[in-house]
Amino acid sequence: MKKEDTVMLISAEGFEFVIDKKAAMVSQTIRNMLTSPGGFSETEHGKVTFPEISTTILEKICQYFYWSLQYASGKETEFHIEPELTLELMMAANYLHT
Amino acid sequence: MESLLERMCIDAATESAVAVDKWRRQRRTLERMPSHLAEALLRRLLQRRMLYPSLLEVFKYSVEDIDLSGESFVDAEWMAYLGAFRYLNSLILADCHKINNAALWNITGLTNLKEMDLSRCSKITDAGIQHLLSLPALEKLRISETGVTADGVVILASLSNLLLLDLGGLPVTDSALNSLQTLTKLQDLDLWGSEVSNESVRILKMFRNLSFLNLAWTKITMLPNLPSLTCLNMSRCAISSLFEGEGLKPRLEKVKFSGATICNISEAFQYVETSKLSFLDISNSTLQSYSFLSSMNAMTDLDLSGSGLVDGSVEHIARIGATLKNLNLNNTKVSSEGINALAGNVPNLETLLLSGTPIDDAAIYFLRMMPALKVINLSRTHVKGFMQLGSALDEVPSFSALESLSHLESLNLELLHIKDPALRPLANMSRLSHLSLRSVSLTNESLYHISSAEKLVHLGLRDTVVTDTGLAAFTPPPALEILDLRGCWLLSKEFVSRFCQKHPQLEVRHDLFETLDKRNEYTSPSRATTRTPKGKNKQGNSSAPPQYFLDQRLKYSREELLSLQILSTVLPTSSGQSNPLP
Repeated sequence: MKKEDTVMLISAEGFEFVIDKKAAMVSQTIRNMLTSPGGFSETEHGKVTFPEISTTILEKICQYFYWSLQYASGKETEFHIEPELTLELMMAANYLHT
Repeated sequence: MESLLERMCIDAATESAVAVDKWRRQRRTLERMPSHLAEALLRRLLQRRMLYPSLLEVFKYSVEDIDLSGESFVDAEWMAYLGAFRYLNSLILADCHKINNAALWNITGLTNLKEMDLSRCSKITDAGIQHLLSLPALEKLRISETGVTADGVVILASLSNLLLLDLGGLPVTDSALNSLQTLTKLQDLDLWGSEVSNESVRILKMFRNLSFLNLAWTKITMLPNLPSLTCLNMSRCAISSLFEGEGLKPRLEKVKFSGATICNISEAFQYVETSKLSFLDISNSTLQSYSFLSSMNAMTDLDLSGSGLVDGSVEHIARIGATLKNLNLNNTKVSSEGINALAGNVPNLETLLLSGTPIDDAAIYFLRMMPALKVINLSRTHVKGFMQLGSALDEVPSFSALESLSHLESLNLELLHIKDPALRPLANMSRLSHLSLRSVSLTNESLYHISSAEKLVHLGLRDTVVTDTGLAAFTPPPALEILDLRGCWLLSKEFVSRFCQKHPQLEVRHDLFETLDKRNEYTSPSRATTRTPKGKNKQGNSSAPPQYFLDQRLKYSREELLSLQILSTVLPTSSGQSNPLP
């Protein structure tokens, strides 16, 4: 996997998640960060830090990105969400526009 | 509109009471939740009957707007928790019948509350209004059809920030209205069915921003000049003069004079600036002349149903026809000749209602010249479905004239004396999605003709003599969702149910199957009476039956119930000595 095709998402606690750029683009917010011309340092380094999103939630978000790509291509599997994660995940989804 | 993930989170969070328990203690998270998410979650809990007063507490820092309208179980306990909602902006309690004066005491002092709807909470009286006075930010207040009297209305005068006040159906007197002159910011005022009269209408001039005024069912006959007015409802009033006086005239946009008595309409409209008027309803009132219509060049919606309109007056409608979109001529005396006068003059007309008029098949011919028509109602007219061509004896189906209307979506042909062959042209209507038929002379042959109307979604075939064999041979058009067979008395239960099984996607209505309504399976009665579908999450209804109103008896078998009954009759005697049961 070439470096240009991946992006690093960093959680509040500093955990790093390296995922496909294509998957990360499911989030409108990340898409804007990565594609907007000029300005964002994220565009250059392919790193995005989320000081508001905990590791557990960010991991779940990454899983969702991949699930969403599959779902869009017609593969209907269940995406299980643990009840205790629902609130945080919902807020992260709202922030990430996904 | 929530995103897919947000929606899935809400689904997971409201899946069961256990799931709720898993997140309800995450107070920090709940406190900083964006209001629209918190509201979506709350709405879903309400829909699924999982919301109860103490659970409301978790939303007290996040929710700004809450709509509990029509929820009959909302009572003082709910209000006690709502009173702690620090950022509450809007509280809709319309049709919450358990809400009484004491319940309102709980929400006193909510400094951010801007909107309050207590419509039809019949237990609210003047004493309850006292509690509302402590809501300083209140801008919108609806208390129509409550138990509030004129005395209660008088004390509203101190809510000086009010922009909207709905006092519909309350006995507001002239002196009560007089005392409201302090509410100078008012934009919307609803006084329908009140006791106000010409004595106090002058006060309305004090409301310099008044844009919406509803005086239906009152004794008011004249209005002073109200320059800011845009919407006026004076249905069922006897109108003599409007806006007489100096200064700029109001530019009315919507006017409802349904069932009003207007002695001289030209005189009544003399001072009305009508260049912006786009919606006019003068149904069910008798007018001598319709020439006043001629200057209303912005008209899009015109309702003259039940008025004495005759062919001779149609020319006045034709003159303003260029902008017309919806025209209701139900139950007027307009005949085919009148339709002829309209034809060619209404290029944008989308809806034309002609039910109960003396039009015949010739009118259908003229409808061809109204190219934008989407909805046509020809029920209860003299239309027979066939037209004589020239002097020859051969007849052609008149509905074939409608084939050229490429936008036609809905056609109502109920209660006409038509026969099966008349319906043959319907198969060629490419966009027709709603068709209503109701004639005892229609048979299986009609079903056959209709089956090739590809876009049909709703088909009504009431009171026809369709038989079991006809139904069995019927192949529903692919898009069909609803088939209304009420009154088709020749159909047997066996065949209808077999048909339903064969076409499970269809909602079939028949007298023998009143319960076959698949859509409403899980909707409880209280939900059905709510005015508007709440919120944005439409798919919420589909999931799980209501959990809080399950009849407890369902848990027990018949035998168990019987033994319980015996137990309950035995218990009082055995525990009569105040011995606590083991």
